[in-house]
Amino acid sequence: MESGSFAARLGGARWRLWALVPVLALVGAVSLFATTGDSLLDLVGQNPPPRDEVDIRRVEFHPGEIRFKITNPQRDDLTIATVTVDDAVVPYHVDGDSTLGRLRSATIVVRYDWIDGEPLKIGVTSSHGIETSKEIAAAVETPEASGKGFLGYGVIGFLVGILPVALGLAWLPSLRRASPEWLAAFMALTAGLLTFLALEALAEAIDLQAALPSGLGGVGLVLLGVASTYLLLTLLSRQFARGEGVVGGVALATLVAVGIGLHNLGEGLAIGTSFALGELALGSFFVVGFMVHNVTEGLGIATPIAGQRRVSLGRLAALALIAGAPAIPGAWLGGFVTSDVLGVLFFAGAAGAALEVVVEVGRYVARQAPGGLSSGYVLGGYLAGIAIMYLTGLLI
Amino acid sequence: MAKNFTRKQVLAGSLPFVAAAPLAKLAWPSTAHGERSATHMGHEHAQMGHAAMIGAEVPAPGGPHAQDDVTFPPRALPHQPGRVREYDLTALDHSIEVAQDVHFDAWSYNGSVPGPIIRATEDDLLRVNFSNAGSHPHTIHFHGIHPGKMDGVFETVLPGGSFTYEFPARPYGMHLYHCHATPLKKHIHKGLYGAFIIDPAKPRPPARELVMVMNGYDTDGDGENNFYTVNGRAFYYAKYPIRVRKGELVRIYLANLTEFDLINSLHLHGEFFRYYPTGSTDHFDYTDTVVLCQGERGMLEIEFHNTGVFMFHAHQSEFAELGWMGFFDVRD
Repeated sequence: MESGSFAARLGGARWRLWALVPVLALVGAVSLFATTGDSLLDLVGQNPPPRDEVDIRRVEFHPGEIRFKITNPQRDDLTIATVTVDDAVVPYHVDGDSTLGRLRSATIVVRYDWIDGEPLKIGVTSSHGIETSKEIAAAVETPEASGKGFLGYGVIGFLVGILPVALGLAWLPSLRRASPEWLAAFMALTAGLLTFLALEALAEAIDLQAALPSGLGGVGLVLLGVASTYLLLTLLSRQFARGEGVVGGVALATLVAVGIGLHNLGEGLAIGTSFALGELALGSFFVVGFMVHNVTEGLGIATPIAGQRRVSLGRLAALALIAGAPAIPGAWLGGFVTSDVLGVLFFAGAAGAALEVVVEVGRYVARQAPGGLSSGYVLGGYLAGIAIMYLTGLLI
Repeated sequence: MAKNFTRKQVLAGSLPFVAAAPLAKLAWPSTAHGERSATHMGHEHAQMGHAAMIGAEVPAPGGPHAQDDVTFPPRALPHQPGRVREYDLTALDHSIEVAQDVHFDAWSYNGSVPGPIIRATEDDLLRVNFSNAGSHPHTIHFHGIHPGKMDGVFETVLPGGSFTYEFPARPYGMHLYHCHATPLKKHIHKGLYGAFIIDPAKPRPPARELVMVMNGYDTDGDGENNFYTVNGRAFYYAKYPIRVRKGELVRIYLANLTEFDLINSLHLHGEFFRYYPTGSTDHFDYTDTVVLCQGERGMLEIEFHNTGVFMFHAHQSEFAELGWMGFFDVRD
């Protein structure tokens, strides 16, 4: 039988049905492997013993008590046998079952007279004798999800997010008087600082995923975050451009604000988590550092609208909120929930968004700047943007 | 340039945050756990702190007589030169419960860590029939005085093989035996060791006799011990205190076979004892704490002046809190 006539007889609809054949064949192959897989593995060697790594997170300190959550990230069941605090076996209580299936969690409660401000090590040993430990930099009482704590994290979010961005926006009148060359330099500066933020967020995401158990982590999670926001912002900028090819003015400022906002969401999360877990012996200096660091973000948003006609105050306030406000929910999430998976996604998302906005700003500068991308103003501005972020980053 | 900026676009600009919310929910730790308790497993402890863990609440593996064979030595026999004392030892691979619910892939003599107590009287002819039913080459190396070809260093016994060690038992004292196959650290740490007592020709005064072999287990293979015990099970004598009578002579044959750590020790609460290093002379120290290097051993003689519950433990606090502690329950 000739294949051409076969195809013709099958028709379009049937070829679409044919698409199911590989799927069904795959299901068959997988179930065959699942039922005989062990004997197959015997051909190439034995199954390694379980790794029994546990994901320990959300370590909370309450008066006379430590509680933490553990998750089993591996395929095999995991049985909690022993809990240690600072290398001493301690009696403990499990909320739930001591044997955890894949990705199952349990909360472990230990009565313990912990010492305020001192480092401490939690260990969980499985029935195979494999110990996973987590070091806590300083034990501090975990704030309850009270209205007071809620307000506190909200204020921190406001101080490191909205306030500095709004202050930075106040450079707008000065920017309006700048010559086109200098305006291009400031646009390039915006691109520079966004590049810095993107790289910083990416590094943070990769760091965080490395600390995750292998079952949950992986750079794939980072790529997912980066790609999602990058593509989302690409879509958004196409909407804004409406056939003009290049996004500029308020629309570009909005994109910059979105990129920075996503970054501040991650930043708020990191700050909230660090506060809650006592990883910062910090206080106000840390917050001040973030404030100075983030003032430049406001400048980045102001620059694209500097060449425009008057922009209403309400619109400026909206931009400040888009860029700065996410620090508040970020701080809440970090302070009360603490999830490393969330951290990876947020930072990766921030990196993707910031990178996309760098591309948009680049396009804009290439078209609008006198002398294009290679003018001294643009190159100098770009480097200055990176340098400013680096120098103010030293404050944190 | 986009001049037709609208409220709708501001809303669109916030899309990524809106999109982030469902993601947040995905990663949000579930709080839907039922408050089922695991108290039936004995994990809950009503008291603050753990130094006072004693009795049923102690997380120790094994039943009340699980360690009898390695705790109570066979009787000493009167001096009778040339008498044959025969023991059968078999090396095995098997899993043992070293701490509550924690299983360790051990190598042992006759299925317990430490192995069986070997006892002879000075000038007995000791004959130890060794079979290797494990999966690696092993030997038995005895401390004491014996010919070079009975030293358990060169005559490696392959899996499935056997060897008979035969030599006169001397000198009297508390000794020990262990595998000397390479890598030595691994073969000792896996559990191939035990106590070896040689009684003097002139019998020692009758006493309540105990053997205590101090050891450790590196259950996750990182070169550091996760648990420490006497006679193989973490916290065992805290769960089952050793009962003795006030004023009765208690004699403990103590040995250190802890791998990885340089030393181990024993400290007794509320009492002093005579410590005879190696137990081969009449020399003793009057003390309440002794420190032993690996392979070092000795004999303790105690007469409790008071009734009550007295702790004994390694005076390395870390070892004590990782399983090496127990109690004497002294009664009238």
